[in-house]
Amino acid sequence: MPLSRRALATAAVIAVVLPLSACGSGDDTGGSSDASGKVEGDITFQTWNLRANFKSYFEGVIAGFEKKYPDAHVKWVDQPAENYADKISADAAGGTLPDVVNVSPDLVAPLAKAGLALDLDKSASKYKKEYLPGAWASHQIPGVKGTYAFPWYLNTGPLFYNKALFEKAGLSPDQPPKTYDDLFADALKISDRTDGKVATLANVPTIEDFGRYGVPLMNKEGTGFTFNDAKGVELLTKYKELYKVKALDPQALTATPESSGRKFLTEAVAMNPGSALDLGNFKKQAPHLYKNIGITDQITSTGHVNMYVMGVMVNSRTKHTPAAVAFAHYVTDAEHQMSFAKKVAIFPSTAGSLEDPYFTKEDGTDETRVRVAAAKSLKTAVNYTPVLFSDQMKTELGNSVARALQGKQSPQEALDAAVKACDRLLQQQG
Amino acid sequence: MATSTVTRSQGPGRPDRPGPLGRLGRLARPGGAAGRTPPPAVRVRRQLVTSPWLFAAPGLLITAVFILYPFVSTVINSFTDRRTLLPGHYVGLANFRELLHDDMFWIGLRNSTVYVLGVVPALVILPLLLALLVQRNIPGITFFRSAFYTPVVASVVVVGLIWVWLLDERGLVNSLLEAVGVGKVGFLSDQWLLLFSAMTVTVWKGLGYYMIIYLAALANVPRELHEAAAVDGAGAVRRFLTVTVPAVRSTMVLVAALSSVAAFKVFSEVYLMAGPNGGPAGEDTTLVMLVQRTGTGLSGRVGYASALSLVVFVVAVVLMLLVLRADRREES
Amino acid sequence: MSTAEKTPAPARAGVRERRRITDEHGRRVRGWELVLRYVLLLAVLALTVGPFLWQLSTSLKGPTEDIFTSPPRFLPSRPTLHNYERVSETIPVWDYVLNSLKVALANVVTNCVGAALAGYALARLRYRGRRAATLVFILAMLVPAEGIIIAQFTTMRELGLNNTLLAVVLPGSVGALNVLLMRNAFLNVPYEIEEAAYVDGANVWQRFWRVALPSVRGTLAVVAIFAFMFSWDDFLWPLIVLSDPSKYTLTIGLNYLHGTFANDERLVAAGTIIAVAPLIILFACLQRYFFRGVGEGAVKG
Repeated sequence: MPLSRRALATAAVIAVVLPLSACGSGDDTGGSSDASGKVEGDITFQTWNLRANFKSYFEGVIAGFEKKYPDAHVKWVDQPAENYADKISADAAGGTLPDVVNVSPDLVAPLAKAGLALDLDKSASKYKKEYLPGAWASHQIPGVKGTYAFPWYLNTGPLFYNKALFEKAGLSPDQPPKTYDDLFADALKISDRTDGKVATLANVPTIEDFGRYGVPLMNKEGTGFTFNDAKGVELLTKYKELYKVKALDPQALTATPESSGRKFLTEAVAMNPGSALDLGNFKKQAPHLYKNIGITDQITSTGHVNMYVMGVMVNSRTKHTPAAVAFAHYVTDAEHQMSFAKKVAIFPSTAGSLEDPYFTKEDGTDETRVRVAAAKSLKTAVNYTPVLFSDQMKTELGNSVARALQGKQSPQEALDAAVKACDRLLQQQG
Repeated sequence: MATSTVTRSQGPGRPDRPGPLGRLGRLARPGGAAGRTPPPAVRVRRQLVTSPWLFAAPGLLITAVFILYPFVSTVINSFTDRRTLLPGHYVGLANFRELLHDDMFWIGLRNSTVYVLGVVPALVILPLLLALLVQRNIPGITFFRSAFYTPVVASVVVVGLIWVWLLDERGLVNSLLEAVGVGKVGFLSDQWLLLFSAMTVTVWKGLGYYMIIYLAALANVPRELHEAAAVDGAGAVRRFLTVTVPAVRSTMVLVAALSSVAAFKVFSEVYLMAGPNGGPAGEDTTLVMLVQRTGTGLSGRVGYASALSLVVFVVAVVLMLLVLRADRREES
Repeated sequence: MSTAEKTPAPARAGVRERRRITDEHGRRVRGWELVLRYVLLLAVLALTVGPFLWQLSTSLKGPTEDIFTSPPRFLPSRPTLHNYERVSETIPVWDYVLNSLKVALANVVTNCVGAALAGYALARLRYRGRRAATLVFILAMLVPAEGIIIAQFTTMRELGLNNTLLAVVLPGSVGALNVLLMRNAFLNVPYEIEEAAYVDGANVWQRFWRVALPSVRGTLAVVAIFAFMFSWDDFLWPLIVLSDPSKYTLTIGLNYLHGTFANDERLVAAGTIIAVAPLIILFACLQRYFFRGVGEGAVKG
């Protein structure tokens, strides 16, 4: 078969030559970090699943920016919620990352390490004072100098509970648990009195739960994880007890945020964390639940509730640094964060905005009550999820927690294994 | 070599004509095509030398540029420690050595293998029975045939959403089971039941597809054989075993080969039902899920995931060869 | 099967004694057997189509109707198309449908042309290297798609094609499985027919176009349907390669819907029905050709 051999040879040549040519291309289209020039040029702005609900808001923001800077033009793209990290990584690897990108702290970390995010301490330090200090710091990465995204909106929310299910289990519907001890005790009672038919919690503990329970997550230098200490083991042991008697939903090991939300909606689970946004949802979809909805504060041992932070990053390779920085700031400045917050149940990260009457005055409705309480708690809120905690690490922790709950490993063994695996992944991130 | 069971049972004089898909499985076997009896029209071979390549060019080009070339770079990456955003360095066989000590790899290998063992027999046998059921031209049969094909037509994401809802603890299936007194079953929480549920979906979605392939093969079974068997007084079951099965045997092998490769590469069904983490403690992770999980995202380990992909590829090739070898051994 | 399809059953029965139901071999089907067959058919029907109907029913339920009741209510108490309206208010669903349609139709054309040409070359033309060419397609079929998607993306970028609908079409434009399907179909066409054309002086192209291709029309229909389905359903690749929302295909659009309204089963159900319905309609229209293509071997039997 002389030809097959020739085909093989051809394949070998292709194999050797093509990847080399691939390596040679790209990666040299650098932008400057100087943001002081004229604001001009075409830039692209990418958001994370915001088009469906806030199309007109963003079109308005962009129109306002283009009016202010007639030489700049912004193209807005929005990406679906799922696979957002895949999308960004493909773009980052392919050199097609947009100029201004909506990110969260854990997304920005690898981008900053790869030199793809603009250091705002260098290029935009004059805006620093406009934001809450904690929010500004949320896009700093341990081991890397600089700040890599403008803080954008914050979110936090109360704990919802189902009064009818509390009552059914003989608990007072107006006395929701306030501490972790209360929570665990109530959960055990509910499952005991309903023969395990009603679970209290639908989610296994995640890294932020460990943080909220007061477990130290990382060492000070940010070089290793520490959530396998006595406190971490204690929390996991508690959850294991709950799981055994179905006070933690049996499907929790495979739950996603949406599936656990649905459990709460179908009144199979008595408590679920949420945000002000969920209230409308309950009203529309589960009228019976809405009538019995109870609202209480997030439970913490630290006194600091958990918050989620969104940021807006500038691509360091943008060809129009002044325009990209100006737009990233424009979207996240006090005025626009405030108007965005009034559209949807999120909270601005700009200094002073939370003092606005919109976030301090109650008017008797549940929505306002939730909003005011959340705004108040945000002043001391913490983003517990470490910036360096990648998706792979989340998976490692999730798997270890599941092994402990199933009794395949002791909580201590499981957490030791998770810390070991996460430390290894951390080192590989370089 | 060219004479499959079909042709042999048809007796001499019949053209060598297996089902439309009948030869697909044979291709990978060395010597398969070479041993083929030259067709009567040897003369046709004298072509303009360039035209065959012109004919094949578009297909070959697309496949080479968009499948094989990316695959080759995957092979090269498997010897590096490349990550999504950071260039890699040559690390020799380190990735492959790491595989051997990676618990998740063995879990993935186990699950993908279990998947093949569970799904393939069902997909070889059930669609054949279904094809026999819809083969007869009774009134309304075209409606039934089309209806049985709908799960194939629907996208796997849609199918996943539907089944997750059906098998939910409060879903349709569980409320029916409870009504019968069986009680609730944790289809979506138990490690093995989850895998079983995903297999059910794969089989459910694949039934129509393979049914079609069998229908094509059944159309080629000469009616004289059935009639002869009927005259001999053979019952339905015996006719099935002595006439139908031998006649469609090469198609069964084809279905086994196609479905086992697909089953080994399973991703969507398990991903949708067990979640991105692969079920409780990741115990339902399949190999391709592991590829996806380790290799994608901003911190993705492209090098290691490439090594995993390579293993998947090699096993798929071996699997196909094994099925075909088993076929040949039985034949001779 | 196909012989029976061509001749309407009643006409054929008329030639015999009375109208009666016969099997594919012209033998009478006994009554009890027929009943058994229909019972089995209906049972399988419930299993295959039932889940879709449940989804359809969910999508027609109004906002005030509780969809989580148990035991489940199969029929909506007051059917409404409101959820479909909401889908189109939320996402430009018809633009997405149009994009999906463009991509899918392009895929159908390229696959039919490319696979038929390549399949013919592999099956009929005797030339050196044919086996290597066949092997290329087989190997392509075995490559795990999830493992090479990033490499595909970088390739596409090197060609300057990312963020175009063309980029969505290209990687699947000549599917390896389709090429192999066509190859097998051509292998099934008796050599004698082409030989006759050859004797009449027809060149390769003419033999392909006038003789070989018409005899594999059915398989071509199968390839067309596969190509349409594959591209209509594809999710991860268009997501990776497209960044401009105006170019999104329907699956990504639906993902939006699912991401934003994960808890609104009715809306998601309406979305999935919009995604599935065109395929079912297309298939219903083409199924005659499809099943004929499948039974092609028998046409000339």
